[in-house]
This record gives sequence, C-alpha cells and structure tokens, in this order.
Amino acid sequence: MTDMTKDRVEQLIDYIMKKCLWQFHSRNWDRERQNKGILGMTTALLCDEPVDIEDPKERCYWVDAVVLADAYRTRYPWINTLSKDEIRELMAALHARLDHLTITGSLNAELTDKNY
Amino acid sequence: MPYHEFECSTCIPERKQHAVVKAPGEDLTSCLPLGYLNTIPGSISERGCAYCGAKHVIGTPMKDVIHISHGPIGCTYDTWQTKRYISDNGNFQLRYTFATDVREKHIVFGAEKLLKQNIIEAFKAHPDIKRMTIYQTCATALIGDDIDAIAGEVMEEMPDVDIFVCNSPGFAGPSQSGGHHKINIAWVNNKVGTVEPEITSDYVINYVGEYNIQGDQEVMLDFFKRMGIQVLSTFTGNGKYDDLRAMHRAHLNVLECARSAEYICNELRVRYGIPRLDIDGFGFEPLSASLRKIGLFFGIEDRAQAIIDEETRKWKPALDWYKERLKGKKVCLWPGGSKLWHWANVIEEEMGVRVVSVYTKFGHQGDMEKGIARCSEGALAIDDPNELEGLEALERLKPDVIFTGKRPGEVAKKVGVPYLNAHAYHNGPYKGYEGWVRFARDIYNAIYSPIHQLASLDISKDPIPTSHGFMTPEMISDAGLDEAVRASDVLRPYTGKADIITPLREKTDYPEFPRRQSAAE
Ligand code: SF4
Repeated sequence: MTDMTKDRVEQLIDYIMKKCLWQFHSRNWDRERQNKGILGMTTALLCDEPVDIEDPKERCYWVDAVVLADAYRTRYPWINTLSKDEIRELMAALHARLDHLTITGSLNAELTDKNY
Repeated sequence: MPYHEFECSTCIPERKQHAVVKAPGEDLTSCLPLGYLNTIPGSISERGCAYCGAKHVIGTPMKDVIHISHGPIGCTYDTWQTKRYISDNGNFQLRYTFATDVREKHIVFGAEKLLKQNIIEAFKAHPDIKRMTIYQTCATALIGDDIDAIAGEVMEEMPDVDIFVCNSPGFAGPSQSGGHHKINIAWVNNKVGTVEPEITSDYVINYVGEYNIQGDQEVMLDFFKRMGIQVLSTFTGNGKYDDLRAMHRAHLNVLECARSAEYICNELRVRYGIPRLDIDGFGFEPLSASLRKIGLFFGIEDRAQAIIDEETRKWKPALDWYKERLKGKKVCLWPGGSKLWHWANVIEEEMGVRVVSVYTKFGHQGDMEKGIARCSEGALAIDDPNELEGLEALERLKPDVIFTGKRPGEVAKKVGVPYLNAHAYHNGPYKGYEGWVRFARDIYNAIYSPIHQLASLDISKDPIPTSHGFMTPEMISDAGLDEAVRASDVLRPYTGKADIITPLREKTDYPEFPRRQSAAE
C-alpha cells in the first residue's frame, strides 16, 4: 500500500471511529456482518452502482452507508477524483483496516462470547 | 500497552490494567483497559449492584406499573425520588416505591407469603394500575424464594393483572450492567409477543435505550411525530408496560443507549428480523444524521430534513454563543456507561471544550472502544475508578468541569472543581437541539459561576474582599473574547423557559400523513 493510500485510509477510518457506532456491535460475528454490509454498500454508492435494499436488514445497512458516503464526498473531496477501480481498492483497504481494529486485532475480550 | 498506574493504587497492582492514556500513535489494538470485571477487593468502587441496574435503570422508568423490590427495605431506598426519569402520567413511578420489607424472621421462615400479601395490597391500594414488576434482591435470592410461582398464583386469582418478574439479585454480575443484561433478556423471553398492538402508521419503531431523563424521550417523540412515525414502545423511559409487550411488531429498533439495551435489540433482530439502528440523540450533527437515517429507512428523508433545517436555524446561534465562551475548557467526561461515547467527540466539535479524561463505572470494553475511538489524543481512560483515583486524576489533569454522577460530583466540588450531573442532568432535557443548547448553558454556568470566587476562599485564613462585588459570569467569560464575537448580533445566549416539556405534552398540531393504501387496508 502506498503512503498516500495509507494516509487516505486513516482519514476515512478516523471519520468512522469518531462519528459512527455501527462498527462496535458487541460480538465479532456481528462486527464482521456490520463492517461488510455497510462498507460494501458504501463502496457501491461511491461507485454509483445499484444496491438491493428490499430486505429491511440490507436497508438498515444502506442508511448508514448513505450518510457515510455523503460525508466522505464532502469531507474528503479527493475521493470524487478517483476512478471506480481506485475507489474499490481504497474501500477494500479500509475494510481490512477496520476489521483489524475492531475484530482481529481488538483487545475486547467479550467479542467471542457465544450469546448476546 | 500505555497503561496508567495511579500512585494511590500501587498497593492494588491489578488496577494498572484498568487505566490507559491515548498517546499519539495508539489505536484500539494497543490501547484498551480491562472492563466489566468484578471490582478488585480493596478498591472502593462507585458501581451499583445488578439489582440496581435492572430495577433503577431499566425497569422503573416504565410509567404505568407498580414496581416492587422483594427484599430488605434498604435495597429500594435509592429508588425513591432520587431519579429523574419523568413521565407524562404524573410521575407515578417516581411518586411511589414499593418493597416487601423482608426482615430476619423471613430469612429464617421464608418470605413468599409476605410477597403475596404485598402484591395484593399494592394492587388494592392502586386500583387503576394493573401491571407490576417484581425484583429479586440478594437476600430473597439466597433463601430461594420462588417469585415466579407467587406471581403466577396472583395472576390466576386476579385475571386482570399482569406481572413481570426480574431475577437479577445484586450479586448477579460485576456491576449494574449485569442487571441491564438480565432484565433485557427476561423481558424479551417473557413479555414480548404477548400483546398485539394497533398499528397506525406505515412507519413503526421501537425507541430503545431511552429513559426520559428530564424529558429526553418526549423531545425525541416530538420529532418522530412530526415525521409521522409511530413509536410503538419506548424501552423504557415514559414507556407503557403493554406497549413493551408489543415490541415484536416494529419495523425498526432505534437504539440510543447500547450499553443498557443492545441485548433486547439484538434478540429482536435474531427472533423477529427487526433491524437495529444505533443513533445519537445528543449534539446537532449526530442527531441530524440520526434523524436522517431514520427518514431514509422509511423513505421519508424530506420530513427529517425539514426538522433538521428548522431546528438548526433556530438553535445554532445559541449553541455557538456558548462554544465561543467554552473553547479550550478542559472536561473530565466521567459518566456511568454510554455517555462517554455519546458525548466524547461531539462536545469537542460543537462546544469547543477538550476532553482530557473519560471513565466508565460499569461500561464494558466495547464502551471503552467507542469512547477511546472518539476522544482526542492524550485523554486518560479509566475503568471502574475508585474515589482516590478520581481525586488523583483531578489533581493531575486540572479540569475546568467534570460530568459525572452526584456522588463523585460532590467530591469534585470539595476540591474546587465544578460538576454537572451526567446521569440525571442539571437543567435538562439535554437531547434534541434545544436540549443540547441547555447542556451548553449548564456547562457555561458551572464553569463561570460567581460562586467559585467565594468557594475558593478559606474563611479561616484568606482575606475576604469586601470593597468590591463579584464578577458576573459574562464579565469572566467575555474578558478575552474578540470584540466581533462579543458584539455579534447573530450569537445569543439561551433564554428558553425552565420547563420545555409541558408544552410538548399539550401539543396537538402534528401533521397528518395519508397512509399507503395497501398498508392501511
Ligand atoms: S447488593 Fe444486594 S443487598 Fe445490596 S442493594 Fe443490591 S440487591 Fe440489595
């Protein structure tokens, strides 16, 4: 990953960490689902691709994704200059970093509890 | 790991892993204290017990219910008129508190008969109230009283009443949080799905983890009504017992305090497929994003946007008046659980203060993850602090104000640090746009109160100035302000009434939105 990509990922992570709550559900399987669902939708929105939001669960991911994508576009105008492939690559790196911070590298001992 | 060891706790070495400093370059994979563990012996915790968490926090805000503690009178003492979860039915849940008054003889001979007498007596004393919750306490759990059986007997004898039993004695978890968990699960297991509600809107939510502190819920309810959303139930502030039995029919669970109520949202998602949307009702930007998300979910974003525009236009000048005067003030954000993350970032951004420390009495590591993620570098994060650690932190950080509960708050006052009540508020509500300005006003008043000029003097030795008066808050706060800010005709301080909730209760002019044909039929 180039330094510029790393820097951009950190900017995007910082926004999620300071403004969002969805990445901190209480169990690791939940966090995997949330990160994947919302960042997947956000990527599609940033790439102007259609999203399927018939299912209420998907629709719930979508509302968080709409607000996130809008914030990214206004706060980090450089994102509007990227090609779709570049956005996908950036969002994949963001997803990996978020999973690391909230799941695989997390020090939260409760994440592996079987029950809620 | 950037642990912080308090000098006063070197004799309790395990405490070291409960405090960290968010140093530059640290992230959540290297900077997180332990949490939600049994308090270490020798550390005088500020926590409550699991009974307290179940009853005082979650059960009792339900408004049309007799809430009985089955145990010694002492357990229930703290419930009576010490909380500020108000309701629109004359505060029945605050005016009356009930306990079975278990004594030594009942410990020896059993207290089930006593419980039954109490239940019947309470229902007879309040013939209009047909719902009851009963809470287990340590003593009655240890003697093995079968509360469920007694409640069942009464419900057979009095078919018009319904009783919920909460088995969460004080020892059922490391802190009050154990009780939050237990009552969430007990409610979804025993009561959800037992009433079918009348659906009056195409957009139906449960508003979860909201306790109507000084009217917070009623402020948010006003927004939801203006959007044409039916709030099927509120878990639990100003909430009705039977509405909460019908939670399974909502389209969306809107969750505020995830610490105390995420369990029921998670279960409703798994069992009934109702999605969980976490929101922030505090702060202009987070609240606006939250209303927008709810609007988007139902395809009525324009209704949310209209509220956001109107409220922001109305209240932003007042918020900014305070922001100009609070810039750079150091804050210790020391609440019980969820407010450390609800407030950590937004008070810095919207009020200009700097959070130098966050702590949680009963939060889990998940709350600390959110809090540490949201606060700025250099902040000291403490899990389950004791009083001496709190004092040492105040000495080291020298905050201008702390937000905490009334017990640690009074301690802070003694060392000359103003405090605001983070649990019950000073002059709330604090939710909503106007509420957020009221919070800013309370912070301003706490920091700049003229009382500090007097309180910091030691009358046994300091000379008492008698030749001049005290400086007013504005004389102090405006001393270093730019003339342009001071003389601004846009910015203005808050001038709202003390009671902003009664007018909301009287409000009737909500818009009528036609329902979709297929849904209404
Ligand atoms: S710890 Fe037990 S005895 Fe003490 S207040 Fe809680 S329930 Fe009552």
